[in-house]
Amino acid sequence: MKNLLIKEIRLAASPLSFIFIAASALAFVPGYPILLAPFFVCLGIFYSFQNAREANDVVYSMLLPVAKRDYVGAKYAFTLLIEGISFALTCGVTAVRATALSDSAAYAENPLMNATPFYLALVLLMFAAFNVVFLGLHFRTGWKIGIPFLSFCAVGIVLIFLGEASWHFPRLGFLHSQKIEKPALQFAALAVCAVIFALLTAVSKVLSAKRFEKIDL
Amino acid sequence: MRVLEIKDLCKDYPSFNLKNISFCVEEGHIMGFIGRNGAGKTTTIKSALNIVHPTSGEVSYFGRPLIGNEREIKRLVGYAGGAVDFYKRKKISDIVAVTKRFYENWSDAECEKYMRAFSIDPAKTPRELSEGMKVKLNLTLAMSHGAKLLILDEPTSGLDPVSREELLDTFVFLKERGVSILFSTHITSDLEKCADDITYIARGEQIASEPLSSFMDRCRAAGYGDTLENIMVHFEKEDIREKLAD
Repeated sequence: MKNLLIKEIRLAASPLSFIFIAASALAFVPGYPILLAPFFVCLGIFYSFQNAREANDVVYSMLLPVAKRDYVGAKYAFTLLIEGISFALTCGVTAVRATALSDSAAYAENPLMNATPFYLALVLLMFAAFNVVFLGLHFRTGWKIGIPFLSFCAVGIVLIFLGEASWHFPRLGFLHSQKIEKPALQFAALAVCAVIFALLTAVSKVLSAKRFEKIDL
Repeated sequence: MRVLEIKDLCKDYPSFNLKNISFCVEEGHIMGFIGRNGAGKTTTIKSALNIVHPTSGEVSYFGRPLIGNEREIKRLVGYAGGAVDFYKRKKISDIVAVTKRFYENWSDAECEKYMRAFSIDPAKTPRELSEGMKVKLNLTLAMSHGAKLLILDEPTSGLDPVSREELLDTFVFLKERGVSILFSTHITSDLEKCADDITYIARGEQIASEPLSSFMDRCRAAGYGDTLENIMVHFEKEDIREKLAD
């Protein structure tokens, strides 16, 4: 798996996948729908799948001494690598906002969602949606990327709207507070979403490997 | 020793059926695999590499079934296609650096030897190579990991006569060193120069699989023609003028 992951990074990946990790820093920007940040990270990963398809990566990989399911595993590992780096950066941005910048007027008057532990939970849900919808649909054919990405966009946009609307619901205003109100509740939501992310990604990977095994390339 | 054995291989597509293909490639032999475009050569090769799933039949390498031994078998098999190329914009040195990680038997000395012999510049990208050089690059990768069997899908298609001749010489050189080659083509004159055995398929069905010399003798005796090209035309020519007139 290590060799396949290196193959992903050195041969199959688009540089945009790594450049778009920087979108995680959009969580610093007040007055911006910051759930677009993980969406852009997913867009960056999509470019690697596009790049891999154009480079006949799948045929090259099938001729290597690896099993078909290992190819799927490497694609998931690469995706998780990018998502993991992005999530770590987003956690850093959230921590800076909650500490050094907690008194910033720009965030206090922010008309859109602030970066909080609940925001981190939604970031994980966005990544989970990508892993289930885009990767899951892509590995039905091992080739198509357009419909899978459009389907992910539809789910992602709904998630962004729900995230931005969430703190307007009665008694949920604390989700927006830059001072991190009710931290126990927010971190519990983050933990639940982390479990959801892990479960959905694991199930998606198993199903994708099974589907890909049956495909005639 | 049978390096590759295919038994009763069938593959059903909605508009094409590959029916009961059976042949074997012996150690140190070049097997020519001929048929018209669309006869089922690539489907057979893809089935033999588990890239497509046969409807039925068995594929085994070195006496071991492919299913269940795929990783071990692919370490001993090299593949080169005439049309497929990988990572066209990546440097050849990068492709080599990644590919070598997958093979315990990789030899840098062999790789450099073939690169030098084929005049492949590792600083170039595959898109800067001619079609013939791309095939040579694939051969270099295969030979550097000590492949015992090369599966070549129409490697000479689209090449100029000199490049074809050089490739055929390379195949004979490799054969003399014990490497077996399964070589699909519809350019029959290539096989007459280097093949020991022949498997011939037409419209998804196997016409013959035997030593080339006995196939030629049999066809000559039956009056099908003196060359592989004439024999193929005998088996497959349709009255196109009649079709066009309908």
